[in-house]
Amino acid sequence: MKDFLKVSISGVRGVVGETLTPQIVASFARAFGVFVGRGSVVVGRDTRPSGDMLERAVVAGLQSVGCQPLLADIAPTPTIGFLVQTLGARGAIAITASHNPAPWNALKFIGRNGCFLGRQRANELLDIYHHGQFAMVPEDSIPRAEDIPDPTGAHFSKVLNYVDVEAIRKRHFRVAVDACNGVGALHSRRFLEQLGCTVVMCHDMPTGVFEREAEPLPENLGTLMSLVTHQRCDVGFAQDPDGDRLALVDEHGHAIGEDLTVAFAVQNVLDRHAKGPVVIHLSTSRCVQDVAEQRGCAVTRTRIGEINVTEAMLALGSPVGGEGNGGVIVPAIHPGRDSFTGMALALELLAKEGKTVSQIRQGIPRYALAKAKLPVRPEQVPDALRLIRRTYENGKINLLDGIFVEFPDSWLHVRASNTEPVIRLAAEAPTREAADRLIAEARTLLTPHLGTSR
Amino acid sequence: MRATDMNPLRLSSFGIRGFAGESLTPEVAIDFASAFGTFVDGGRVLIGRDTRLSSDMVHAGVISGLQATGCEVLDLGICPTPMLQFSVSRYQASGAIAISGGHMRMGWNAITLISANGAFLDPLSGEAVLDVFHARDFRKPGWNRIGSVTATDDFSEPYLNALESHLDTASIQHAGLTVVIDAANGAGCRFLPRFAKRLGFRLVAINAEEAGFMARDPEPRPRNARQAASIIPIVKADIGFVTCSDFSRVSLVSEDGETASEEYTFPLVADHVLRRTPGVVVSNCCTTRMVDDIAAIHQCRLVKTPVGQAYIMAALADENGMIGGEGNGGVSVPRFSRAVDGLLTIGLILESMAKHPGKISTRLHELPRYHIVKRQVYSEPRHCYRILELIQQHVASWAPDAHLDLTDGLRMDWKDGWLHVRASQTEPMIRIISEARQRDQAESRAMDMVRMLEHEL
Repeated sequence: MKDFLKVSISGVRGVVGETLTPQIVASFARAFGVFVGRGSVVVGRDTRPSGDMLERAVVAGLQSVGCQPLLADIAPTPTIGFLVQTLGARGAIAITASHNPAPWNALKFIGRNGCFLGRQRANELLDIYHHGQFAMVPEDSIPRAEDIPDPTGAHFSKVLNYVDVEAIRKRHFRVAVDACNGVGALHSRRFLEQLGCTVVMCHDMPTGVFEREAEPLPENLGTLMSLVTHQRCDVGFAQDPDGDRLALVDEHGHAIGEDLTVAFAVQNVLDRHAKGPVVIHLSTSRCVQDVAEQRGCAVTRTRIGEINVTEAMLALGSPVGGEGNGGVIVPAIHPGRDSFTGMALALELLAKEGKTVSQIRQGIPRYALAKAKLPVRPEQVPDALRLIRRTYENGKINLLDGIFVEFPDSWLHVRASNTEPVIRLAAEAPTREAADRLIAEARTLLTPHLGTSR
Repeated sequence: MRATDMNPLRLSSFGIRGFAGESLTPEVAIDFASAFGTFVDGGRVLIGRDTRLSSDMVHAGVISGLQATGCEVLDLGICPTPMLQFSVSRYQASGAIAISGGHMRMGWNAITLISANGAFLDPLSGEAVLDVFHARDFRKPGWNRIGSVTATDDFSEPYLNALESHLDTASIQHAGLTVVIDAANGAGCRFLPRFAKRLGFRLVAINAEEAGFMARDPEPRPRNARQAASIIPIVKADIGFVTCSDFSRVSLVSEDGETASEEYTFPLVADHVLRRTPGVVVSNCCTTRMVDDIAAIHQCRLVKTPVGQAYIMAALADENGMIGGEGNGGVSVPRFSRAVDGLLTIGLILESMAKHPGKISTRLHELPRYHIVKRQVYSEPRHCYRILELIQQHVASWAPDAHLDLTDGLRMDWKDGWLHVRASQTEPMIRIISEARQRDQAESRAMDMVRMLEHEL
């Protein structure tokens, strides 16, 4: 993996010093500057040790093509996107590899609307990069970089204006935060204190050296869970390094799974703020769908990828949605995943319902997820997918990303992996047995038609 | 790394020059800094820059490239190159990088490499850096060993302390001089008030704003000294100085508003320094004969080198020289530092004025006078050396009575003067310098050479 540089629509990512060098980063920044045109570009980063080095390369690249870098310094990815609109910038570059391990870093490109670039626009940027001609400006047009004063201020105000701050403050919540030594280490305490919370933190050094796996999965949250228990907190919040994803820990110290973060947000927004269609991606838990449908709101599923969810939300006028990996999106605040929005909505839900995290979780249907992968030769993939489609043709089939079959209380997702020669099977059902049964069924169906031997 | 036709990158053993918007890309800056970072094996490196708009961009790229190779960066920010050079040993750094266009017009900029002793990188080390640069085989310390960056501004006080004790400050203060300094809106601007206060002269500073662009052509020479000259009678100044954007070179203007050739700076300072402390003098092979005469007056040995600060510094070190300098207004005193230092140069001239009362115009006229003529012929860099070879073949018939020297380009010496032809290191041109006792003689030799070059082109 050392020599792996992934250039794709979600940006450019690689291992720092091996493939992701300041030289490549400067070239990408130049391409981005040419792509957005002369004007200002917000630049921010997470806490990774390579962040300030890559930031300088980005700054030099932008300056050379006449774009003025506006520096947000260490800031959450949602804040960086948010600043584009408040500052009237032409776009932003977020220097973050999100949940990837610390040796990795990446550039993520944000357009004028504050969202990540969609497929078409990202391809345009890649074309400019590969063409390799980024016209530079003469010296008298080279702009100076400027620091953004209080970068998170406007973003946090927008979040706080959305929720009933007084109701939350009255509860004087005790909150534990695991910032994964990421951006939350600098910003989460201040944010939560404005909501009247008493905050205890772990992994709260902004070093970018992660002391736990960066994804906020239950198995990575041992420290936070014991912190919640020992400090008798009402809730535990686990952020990823760039502050877009959030997982919740209940008052007993149990990680309830990051799909529930979205379920909490959806429940709260639909009950208290706005009704409307809910958008989630294909592999988001069915429980989110149930919460929405119980409230008479339609659910749309999109391809995997944050920008796909965001674009569908904006097109449908959706008030709330997100990704099952803990990414809550409320377009009225910011059209992108935002752990701060997730925290505020969860606290508002607790305050208004007068219940604990585990009590609210009780009210949301439980599902079990089962997964499997089957080795496949590339030429076998189309027939295999056709077979699944024929078998389940009486069900509700979604063809956005492989074959997604929806049943009354469960779903099955069959798709070819983008990274390995395998077919991925995933199923969710009310019970473990039912989920396993769906997977077994698909496996039995496919196995005779697959195989690595010729 | 696309070089353009008009203003291509110029590489030398101590640095790289390029034109903003054309050849000087952020990627080149990062690569070059990474090459130096590899050469110093991830050690501590000081960074200073001038005020140019492109310097800000290059500065970001250079630091990024040093960090990538694991160097510990101490960022001095806007800092005259001589102050940066002075500071290297104080911070126990492995080297330094100066980002400054120096005397070059707006658009140009340069990344100059400085070794641990404060001098421009010597040619052998420079070759090693260029090899790394071309192979792009940079040090890779790993993601968790990326170099740190610390900004510091505590370098100027120790420098000014040293300068104050190197000079006879009491005499300068006592002289109560009024001095015009045109700082080219460069890296020296912010330090001038403290410099003046320390030495005790009344400062009238012009072009002393860090505006990011040059208010005049930054090369210190008479045609760029007109603003200073026009101010001098108004403020009744005793002398005026004109510097480049990194405060290394200086030319002067006398109290009557005469803009002296930059060739006068070195002989004037050398005369003052050698009078007190005789020693070996180092200069390049196309500096005015005034220097030869001054060295002879003080019975000091004169050593000549190819053109360029790096060569002067190398010879000063080898010969244990007392003072070195060039005809471009650059002066270096190794006892103080291994830099061409405009602040020191100004200080020494003020010291000589304080100790030997009298008008500066009189002092200038007392120097052995020569007439110097400078010409240039445009030529693509790839043709320059071939043309110089052709010219060399004509020299025997054109100047049968001249002594020919090939240290750097072609130099012909007659009893009453000399002529030097060389390819410019900074621009696509061949430079001609002709000096003689009589102006007509200098002019006619220069014109002959221009004609010969144009014929070959």
